[in-house]
Amino acid sequence: MKDKIFGVLQRVGRSFMLPIALLPVAGLLLGLGSSFTNTTMLETYNLMGIMGPGTIIYSILSVMSAAGNSVFANLPLIFAMGVAIGMAKKEKEVAALAAAISFIIMHTSISTMLLIGGKGATVLESCENLVSSGFIAPNSYGDMLGITTLNMGVFGGIVVGLGVAALHNKFYRIELPQVLSFFGGTRFVPIISSVVYVAVGILMYFVWPYVGIGIAKVGEVIMQSGYAGTLLYGLMERLLIPFGLHHVFYIPFWQTAVGGTMEIGGQVVQGAQNIFFAQLADPGCTEFSVSATRFMSGKFPLMIFGLPGAALAMYKCARPEKKKVVGTLLLSAALTSMLTGITEPLEFTFLFVAPLLYGVHCVFAGLAYMLMHVFKVGVGMTFSGGIIDLFLFGIIQGNEKTRWIWTVVIGIGYFIVYYFVFSALISKLDLKTPGREADDEETKLYTRADVNAAKGASNNAGVSSTDPVSALIVQGLGGKANISDVDCCATRLRTTVFDPKLVNEGALKASGASGVIHKGNGIQVIYGPKVTVIKSNLEDYLASPESDAPVDVSYDNKENSGATESKKSVKADVFAPMKGKVIKLEDVSDGVFSEGMLGNGAAIEPVDGKVFAPFDGEVQMVYDTKHAIGLISDSGVELLIHVGIDTVQLNGKYYDVKVQNGQKISKGDLLVNVNLSGIAQAGYRTVTPVIVTNSDDFSEINVTTNDNGDINTKIISIR
Amino acid sequence: MVNFNYVITDEIGIHARPAGLLAKAAKAVSSRVVIKANGKEADASKLMAVMGLGVKKGNEITVEVTGDDETEAAAKMEEFFKANL
Repeated sequence: MKDKIFGVLQRVGRSFMLPIALLPVAGLLLGLGSSFTNTTMLETYNLMGIMGPGTIIYSILSVMSAAGNSVFANLPLIFAMGVAIGMAKKEKEVAALAAAISFIIMHTSISTMLLIGGKGATVLESCENLVSSGFIAPNSYGDMLGITTLNMGVFGGIVVGLGVAALHNKFYRIELPQVLSFFGGTRFVPIISSVVYVAVGILMYFVWPYVGIGIAKVGEVIMQSGYAGTLLYGLMERLLIPFGLHHVFYIPFWQTAVGGTMEIGGQVVQGAQNIFFAQLADPGCTEFSVSATRFMSGKFPLMIFGLPGAALAMYKCARPEKKKVVGTLLLSAALTSMLTGITEPLEFTFLFVAPLLYGVHCVFAGLAYMLMHVFKVGVGMTFSGGIIDLFLFGIIQGNEKTRWIWTVVIGIGYFIVYYFVFSALISKLDLKTPGREADDEETKLYTRADVNAAKGASNNAGVSSTDPVSALIVQGLGGKANISDVDCCATRLRTTVFDPKLVNEGALKASGASGVIHKGNGIQVIYGPKVTVIKSNLEDYLASPESDAPVDVSYDNKENSGATESKKSVKADVFAPMKGKVIKLEDVSDGVFSEGMLGNGAAIEPVDGKVFAPFDGEVQMVYDTKHAIGLISDSGVELLIHVGIDTVQLNGKYYDVKVQNGQKISKGDLLVNVNLSGIAQAGYRTVTPVIVTNSDDFSEINVTTNDNGDINTKIISIR
Repeated sequence: MVNFNYVITDEIGIHARPAGLLAKAAKAVSSRVVIKANGKEADASKLMAVMGLGVKKGNEITVEVTGDDETEAAAKMEEFFKANL
């Protein structure tokens, strides 16, 4: 179990790598763009003429900043899709689509709930009403893809990504009844995901506000306590980043009276960041207010020195053959953190694979803020703590005003501490940071793991790994080596083969196709709406090692030897042999029957001990222990009626069989009289599986459940 | 044709579960597998027929394997019986 959770976490962590790879670029765009378009900064350095608003440089930087920001603003959606892609076992593109849809639906549901709950004319107005009524915390709502919704950050995206992937893996090959079969298979995934995430959105509306309110409370506590408060501030701010709730937390400190009030140059200024920039612009200021910058300065040693130390530790701990690949990722992420103070690229590389490291990181963050407070460092920032901001707001301002030198002194210590603590934890606890993943998973680039995952999935779905339909299709298409690609439309399997002469129509028809169309190298096989399921199964089969074996085994040989493997085109119905509740075979919860080991079928929880013929046919055999009877219908359906579970042990007691081997029967004839209460008293279950033992001969076997079946209830239809 | 004899040791004989496994095993080889017991015979890949033999613990059965891969298939089947029945 522990291994399983660990394996899943590792997979989750890996699924983050795709979106994370994008972040350094976005971070640089945003960091450079926003630092040099800050008008307060430009005014302070008399740069308004060269690169102030209206200049070409300013325009370019503005676009860069906005483009970079758009990635961060939509990071939750990017994570929703990225995680769904990473976690889906097959047909990943469908999972990505479903995740995007679900993400939009979840936030729209939250938004609508906010509108209804706040009774305002707009969602924004409703949110304000909800804030004044105390239901949600200030700053806990905002804009996501144009939807005014609760801030859930990357956490919201991960909730969607993981949930959709789970739904996808469960349902991507679902077979629906014939009438609805167009909506089966992968098409079902976005549908079920949408429905589920409407419900999740509604639920989040009730749950998430409490998280926001709790955080706002912590903010109040912090203001009332000195150094310890600063430590707690730093720790909380880091801790909240993955949940997108850091804004709820730090914005009041930066922008409102919670972060302090001060009179500067005759004007009253509120909020830590506002105080800093007012002082920056005030020529009379001799020293920056530390009570304001204590909510900012801690980022510098952390981001310029600490995190790069962590990156170096991860690089050192990666396996030698991985160092090159991992090195580029870590180096770019570390540079982004150092230059711009954008830390997500680096933090997310270890946050999910090794949450413990993130916990350690949060504690160090708190300590960094506290140390800056203790040493009275007064360096502010536009939005984060990289070298750019340290240079502009620390070094250029002069050490007397800012004491910036301490960020470097403590920073060097941080680099060393991060390097050694991370190295020690990673190697001691064998944490799977990038470049340390288990061997077979990464080196073979997912394929091996995917095959195993697919095998697991097919076993769960009750489809045997020896998939006769897919094997026939492969054979019909001239073998695996002849297949170039496989796709499908609404009713047809569309394939491209290398040599159309190798295609064997007979085998394809035997696999259940109603027609085959040749167009050059393109072969279309017509199956009807259930083709999406056939395609998924075929893709699984092609991915499994089994399909590498030479073909031409099952189909021709078996026919020669008399065992018919090809599908019969039969239409037949099986009626309930006993009165009672009709359930699915899977729900019998007995290994032998529910796993479909003997074939597909249904089961009955009988209320009456009389067993009747479910169709016209013949008694193929009565077992000598009388508890089971084998029938064959006139249309060739072989049926096993097994009265009770494990009742072979009763040796015929409680069973009175009225028919003999080879006897002709008509639907409704009494076959067996069973003493149900006797069986129950003897300690056996009376649930009676009804199984088509030659299931492989038919292309479709559908079971209809019924809570109150009698002998005129159709339970199995065969096509 | 390759054949071998086997004495069933399973408590309940060739009943539902083992018969299901046997049918699966027999389908997995390309040779035809026939089981003879109690004066009757059945194609091993046909579940119902196998169950109908009514093979009990202590019964001796004869397994006949015929086909291209009969030697190999017979070895596989013998292995199967030892493991499951």
